[in-house]
Amino acid sequence: MWKIKEGSTQHWALRLVGVAIIFVAVIWVPTQMSTSRIGQFSDAFVLIIAAMSLNLVLGFTGMISIGHSAFFGLGGYTAAILIKDHGWSPGYTFYASAVIAFVAGCVIALPALRIKGIYLALVTLAVAVLFPVLVKWKKLVWLTDGAKGIDSVRYDDLPVWPILGELKGRDGRAVFAYWLAFIVLVVTYLVCRGIVKSRFGRSLVAIRDNETAAAVMGVNVTTAKVLVFGISASLCSLAGVLSTLRTGVITPEGQYVTLLGSIVFLLIMVVGGAGTLWGPIVGGLVYVWLDNTTRGFGSESDGVIGFLFGWADQSPATMILGIALIVIMFAAPFGLVGLIKKVWVKLVVVVPRPAGTSVAMTAVEVGR
Amino acid sequence: MKRISKKAIALTMAGALALAACGGDDGGTDAPSTDAPATEAPSTEAPTDSDAPTTEAPAPAGWTVDTSECVDPDAANAPIEGTIKIGSAMPLSGSTAAIAFAPVKDGYEAYIDWANEQGILDGVTIEVQIEDDQYNKDLTPGAVEKLLDSGVSLFSGIIGTPNNAAVRDILNEECYPQLFSLTGSKNFGQPEDYPWTTGILIEYSVESRAYAKAISDKFGGSANVALFTVNNEFGQEYVEAFEAVAPDFGISIVAEETQEATDGTPPVSQLNSIASKAPDAIVAVPLGAACAAFLTEVANAKAANPGWSPEIYLTATCSSSLILSLAGANATGLYTSSNLVDVLDPESAALPAVAEYIAYMESLGKGDIITTANAGWHTAEMTVKIIKQAMESPDGLTRASIINAARNFDQTGSLARPGVRLKSVGIEDPFYSESLQIMQYDAETKLFTDIGELITDFEG
Amino acid sequence: MDRFFQYVFDGLSFGAIYALLALGLVVVFRGTGHLNFAQGEMAMFCTFLTWQYNAWGAPLVVAVLLGMLTGFVLGAGTEVSLIRSVAKKSEAGVFVVSIALFLGLNSLAGMIWGNLPPEGMASLFPDAPTDFARIFGAVWRYEYIGILVVALVLMGLLFLLFAKTKFGLAMRSVASNPESARLVGIPTGVVLASSWGIAGAMGALAGTLVAGANGEVHPGLMFSVFIYASAAATLGGFDSPGGAVIAGLSIGVGEQLAAGYAPGWIGQELRLGVALVIIFVVLLFKPSGLFGSVKVQRV
Repeated sequence: MWKIKEGSTQHWALRLVGVAIIFVAVIWVPTQMSTSRIGQFSDAFVLIIAAMSLNLVLGFTGMISIGHSAFFGLGGYTAAILIKDHGWSPGYTFYASAVIAFVAGCVIALPALRIKGIYLALVTLAVAVLFPVLVKWKKLVWLTDGAKGIDSVRYDDLPVWPILGELKGRDGRAVFAYWLAFIVLVVTYLVCRGIVKSRFGRSLVAIRDNETAAAVMGVNVTTAKVLVFGISASLCSLAGVLSTLRTGVITPEGQYVTLLGSIVFLLIMVVGGAGTLWGPIVGGLVYVWLDNTTRGFGSESDGVIGFLFGWADQSPATMILGIALIVIMFAAPFGLVGLIKKVWVKLVVVVPRPAGTSVAMTAVEVGR
Repeated sequence: MKRISKKAIALTMAGALALAACGGDDGGTDAPSTDAPATEAPSTEAPTDSDAPTTEAPAPAGWTVDTSECVDPDAANAPIEGTIKIGSAMPLSGSTAAIAFAPVKDGYEAYIDWANEQGILDGVTIEVQIEDDQYNKDLTPGAVEKLLDSGVSLFSGIIGTPNNAAVRDILNEECYPQLFSLTGSKNFGQPEDYPWTTGILIEYSVESRAYAKAISDKFGGSANVALFTVNNEFGQEYVEAFEAVAPDFGISIVAEETQEATDGTPPVSQLNSIASKAPDAIVAVPLGAACAAFLTEVANAKAANPGWSPEIYLTATCSSSLILSLAGANATGLYTSSNLVDVLDPESAALPAVAEYIAYMESLGKGDIITTANAGWHTAEMTVKIIKQAMESPDGLTRASIINAARNFDQTGSLARPGVRLKSVGIEDPFYSESLQIMQYDAETKLFTDIGELITDFEG
Repeated sequence: MDRFFQYVFDGLSFGAIYALLALGLVVVFRGTGHLNFAQGEMAMFCTFLTWQYNAWGAPLVVAVLLGMLTGFVLGAGTEVSLIRSVAKKSEAGVFVVSIALFLGLNSLAGMIWGNLPPEGMASLFPDAPTDFARIFGAVWRYEYIGILVVALVLMGLLFLLFAKTKFGLAMRSVASNPESARLVGIPTGVVLASSWGIAGAMGALAGTLVAGANGEVHPGLMFSVFIYASAAATLGGFDSPGGAVIAGLSIGVGEQLAAGYAPGWIGQELRLGVALVIIFVVLLFKPSGLFGSVKVQRV
């Protein structure tokens, strides 16, 4: 075991190494990997953003939501309608979606103020199920094109960005989609981090741990809940915009727009680690990897996999995800991030500064 | 510049003429012709750099694809030797669609194995790789990128309208043939915008027209019809197609009821509501497992409303005895359509090519799925025929020659009904199967009887 | 007027189906305080097994009983092996595990029975096209009357179980405070496992009835029924069997009336929407459902 002091040179060096690894990895993917891998990363980023937004509500504030697929769909449809019917440039639709979803999120949060636990889960389930129903509603067909959905929504010509230069073809589109998703991911991460580390974030955690106590201690529970739900919805809609731009198509039957989407977001958040900032990131990468690896399992597999699943009529991908979810709940209740932390702590211990240490204290110490 | 615009005008005129010709006797294709102004722009540019003879209306073998706009034109014209790899994405797990389409994959792969054994393509081995996209359009681009990275030269038989739409742009930009997109949506007949993409299933408007005509003939020129459809993109496209042709045949649509694809309860109230309007016929487009439940509810509604006995016209997607046998006696007398032979019919099964198919499937231990796997076998067979035609063309086997062959194609499949030709003439007639046979089902023998002649006069 | 009765009967028919599955949710909630998200998929899986027993040669009634037995074992086994230890850690954990079961069972059913030709499911009740009663000029099928009777009988049995038996009392005390229940000598483990087991058995029965009405069984059978059932359970207050049945029937009738009398605005497409909007509004004013008991929260 290695003990280091917080703020010491070693500590900073360690942090620097961590940042460097991430930096290299982020650049390595789009420059060195195959196009399909780059695509898988941008798919993962989209889901990570959605799971992060859910984490804000569920992981940090303790409000169960399985309605986030509706915000995902709201974002996707806002983008599709603005691009297709109103000729917007795709980039601007991110802002429009964020605003619209924020308002929708706040409105939906209003009943959530009185409703708790499984009742809240059911209200959000209603939201998830209602969204595709409303999109198909004949009174809204003029706007949404009903069950047919909207297709050919995309950048006709990719914008030319500095450094990246002119991008063409599927390689270019994959690289562009990667960086676009990455930027949105960074923004989402920073928003979440900003909230969690702030006073507002601490009040959210207080609500999660004990709402009544939080209220007694002076937390404005109403405002906090409505606001965090709105922000979460807004971030989730960004993932929806990304998804629509990647495939160019949105239909009310699309998987992430329906209840199943909410379940996927939840799964990613829980596997990675609910209530941690890095949880959804780890969870999303693992999910996409696991999904892509296991979907091909079946009668044509060889070896152990063929032995295990050769009999199956359909691929066991979803079942393996279900089992993974259960294993995580038993073996690592705080998700993969919790597990990593547990191992890490055995290797390196960061000794925190003595409590109450501040600049003033240090000054006093120095003065002495 | 002058020369170019002349070409463009000639071409546009030819296109307009073709559309007008279609529109003359075919109300169903009205919609595409209204799209014409929007699609003109690309078409005026497309032929500019191509060396194809375009000064006059394209002759049958005249249409060639323009590869100059491709990301990598050289790759699109590079010869393919030794092995050709076909890719596809289908729902094989995760949704109810998997039940209907997993056998399609088996039939597809079976044909490719068979074709290699027979040495259909001289000196070229065919490989096929089918990815599972779970009918989720968000997974289709990933599946297709994976296939492209593994060296696929063409795609064939990707299932689902949104799934095909999700990869259409990339494949056209990169110039990979996207053949036989399994969708009946007319959005897939836009060769000006998407020259590399072709459709296969009977276009909805063709089937709608055939049914409308049959109903109209039966009831002396005017009839009341109810529509029952699944409430998704498939059902909605169908409703629009039928609504468009109904007035031409004096048909008034008296009820339109829908059912959700995920509904776990049978369509009791929908049928009650339809029965209250007492239509002469019901045109029904349920999905997969719901086909049988619909027929049961029709029988129930008929029993509850004595004297009312509508004719049932069921979409071709339900016309498998595997699905219809679920409804038992309630399925007797319904009309449906197909352009493939009924492989259970002893007469058809005796045909050498059909017998070969059945024997081969049975040798793989898949004799129980022959009535749904035939769609896969058929798609694979036509794909291989296109590849063969491309091999024999002066350009040799390239991606461009494959799509040129696909767009100047006139062949028949071994499982197709006698007289059915898959035909495509350049950009004037992008749809393949425009002939179909209306058939009546007998639940006792589980066989279909042909009603009337094979309808071929919709061929544009 | 017969149109009105037709809507009511159609509504009662479907409402009974929703109520049946909702009763299973109520039993689990009442016994353990949890929402079993996998209730519908467990029912679907047991229905496949019932079909399988029947296909192997067991008479339908025997197959249904075997299916219910399997349902009991599946439910109780799930509680003992998976739910119990997670429940100690967190409430959300139970929710997540039940979602895992939802995914796993659906996928497993596809793996086992996915590529078979879809198979017909026989009905427990007479279901020929002519098997219906005509009441006030409207049609009510024997099959659905049968399902409604089953739902009402089960409701009655559950009511007796909760109110008149020691077991019911034990369930209530375990749900409200497992620690003190154990201290006074209640075998909490048995109570918890049986609650899930009973729910599993009831799910198997509900699934078989739904499959019988559809004439077939497939992996997507219970998905929308579960959504309706959870709507019914929510509206009914989650801990009252009577509430669940009344709510299930009202949702069924409400959506049919809305769809029938406002075909232009609502129609069949928005039926589910009507049901969900009702819940939304009810929960807004009564956050623990119409018949639910209000829990006092302590700090």
